[in-house]
Amino acid sequence: MAILVTDKTKVLIQGITGKEGSKVALQMQNYSTKVLAGVTPGKGGQEVHGIPVYNSVAQALENHPGINTSLISVPNFATLTAMKEAIEAKIPLINIFTEHVPIQDTALAIAMARQNGVRIVGPSSMGIISPGVGKVGQIGGEDPRGVFRKGSVGVISKSGGMASEVSWILTQAGMGQSTVIGIGGDILEGTTFADLLLEFEKDPQTESVVIFGEIGGTYEEDAAEFIKKTKFKKKVVAFISGLFAETLPSGTKLGHAGAIVYGEKGSYKSKISSLKSAGVKIAKTPDEIPNLLK
Amino acid sequence: MLLYEFEGKELFKKCSISVPTNQLVSSSVDQITIKTPLVLKAQVLSGKRAQSGGIVMVKGKAESVKGEVEKLFGKEVNGEKVERVLVEEAVEIEKEYYLSFSYSTETRGPVMTFGEGGTGAEEKGAKIYPVDILAGYSGENVPEELKDIAKKLWEVFTKYDCELAEINPLVTTKDGKVYTLDAKVILDDDGDFRREVKFPERNLFGRASTEREIEARKIDEGDHRGTAGSVYWDLNGDIAVLAAGGGGSVVNMDALIALGGKPANYTEHSGNPPREKLKKLTKILLSKPGLKGLWIVGGTANFTDIYETLMGFVEALREIKPKPTYPIVIRRGGPRDKEAFEALKEIGEEEGFDFHIFGRETPMTSTAKTMVDLAYGNTGN
Repeated sequence: MAILVTDKTKVLIQGITGKEGSKVALQMQNYSTKVLAGVTPGKGGQEVHGIPVYNSVAQALENHPGINTSLISVPNFATLTAMKEAIEAKIPLINIFTEHVPIQDTALAIAMARQNGVRIVGPSSMGIISPGVGKVGQIGGEDPRGVFRKGSVGVISKSGGMASEVSWILTQAGMGQSTVIGIGGDILEGTTFADLLLEFEKDPQTESVVIFGEIGGTYEEDAAEFIKKTKFKKKVVAFISGLFAETLPSGTKLGHAGAIVYGEKGSYKSKISSLKSAGVKIAKTPDEIPNLLK
Repeated sequence: MLLYEFEGKELFKKCSISVPTNQLVSSSVDQITIKTPLVLKAQVLSGKRAQSGGIVMVKGKAESVKGEVEKLFGKEVNGEKVERVLVEEAVEIEKEYYLSFSYSTETRGPVMTFGEGGTGAEEKGAKIYPVDILAGYSGENVPEELKDIAKKLWEVFTKYDCELAEINPLVTTKDGKVYTLDAKVILDDDGDFRREVKFPERNLFGRASTEREIEARKIDEGDHRGTAGSVYWDLNGDIAVLAAGGGGSVVNMDALIALGGKPANYTEHSGNPPREKLKKLTKILLSKPGLKGLWIVGGTANFTDIYETLMGFVEALREIKPKPTYPIVIRRGGPRDKEAFEALKEIGEEEGFDFHIFGRETPMTSTAKTMVDLAYGNTGN
């Protein structure tokens, strides 16, 4: 069955006429994902790879009421407006590819999404792929077939590159994936590890889950708490990066906005110990993951 | 970006938050106009200034001020050289509080933290209250006399795109006045494009930014095609690291350090940056003297063009003087990787570079060992 991206997924791309937007549209079509429409204000009436472009989300939905997923790939300064449009239109799944979205805008969007009962994945999300079914976003690039294979392992990653790397390690070990999600590495995330563990628990195709986390924030600790509290039944393996940051001054910025540690909070140690106490197996290097899943 | 106290107070004043009368001096010869009793505060980015001798109270005669200022300028506070001192009138404190706005990864929204002030305020049981960002903050959960300042601090927090706006201590005086004695502000770098106030670059390493750090950060300025060099830190080691991916780069730094490798820098590039950006970044990276190796490493890229980025690297490598003879270990995977490796093999042989090329079939972090062994001459028999 997979989660989030299924055979029922019908996508709208906000920012479809941009360089990344049009590239991703073609990638998704080639991976047999249904892209029904695109939106770029002022460019309504055009077509991108045969996909009709509209001036607003409302217009796109009027013409394609089947849309249930939106991919946002617009510049960071335009992201808040794009998110608001998608949320107000109550599109159930909104995936934000854009990086460097101000944290205040993300906080506003998360609050609005809660009010409207829709889900945001991202910002800074590489996308979501259910191998053999479809994909939303840049994840897997032009040809995901080489790296991803259909199977029973769910993958949740703060890093898009590591989502692919982990999936590739699994595929090489003969382990396919149910759904792979890049949740993004910002401080505030629309969808967290715990949110997706809940979905994976309900998904019959998924037998185990791999988490790629890193220092900063509390999402790994929250995931551990969730696993304990709900007596999560599926096997979970985690890899946590960022030990290196502890050799740097507190508050030093690394690759992801969220990967920032002030004092003890969000430290490597705190994440490892809470995940371990929840029965999660910890991989010391990414290539240990397949063995720990067995 | 973390602001100095005096910069934070400048922002506060813009939203009419009351700050004691003060003066910023950048050398001990500056004429001080504030009358005693006063407080001298070293402007450094590290916390816990009071315990490290960075805050000096001067109660006596005006003549004693100069000597104290001189002493402070000669000092290092938590390893950071004192380059500016904030001279501030002393305030007679009746009560101290802690007040801040920040974002919580638990509520995934803004929170207000309020409690007793002073050192270790967070441990002293300050309470955290979620703020409804859609409604805004209008003075909830603080005593009547602090409602006004709390609302103004919320204004600073949202108007200037802060990650943290903190006052500790926030004090009240016997005559019923409210003052901000300290200011700690962390700006959200992603809000830079719309913030009206600009602040100069700084770093947290207790030293001025290096030439390489400054140059690296310029690469992405005004060019949104991918990122390269926006984050670049010079470290004390001898293995240059050209790492790809915000996540993968950290994974690989962990692996290198675990094996005893000493990185010369941390940087990352991602989001399919064009060839020129990689060329610039490589030139900056390899300008460092005394390198024993270069590790070009990344996971399986989703859409970064491996050929383009590696050719950008090669273009720079050819211009480095003297010609690098140290080992260069490359592990990449992703679009056009095979094409890139064929070209690199040829270039390495023809032009005499010591390339060690690995594709996605080799585990990413395992090449850390290859790098360390080659760089430090561990032949392993």
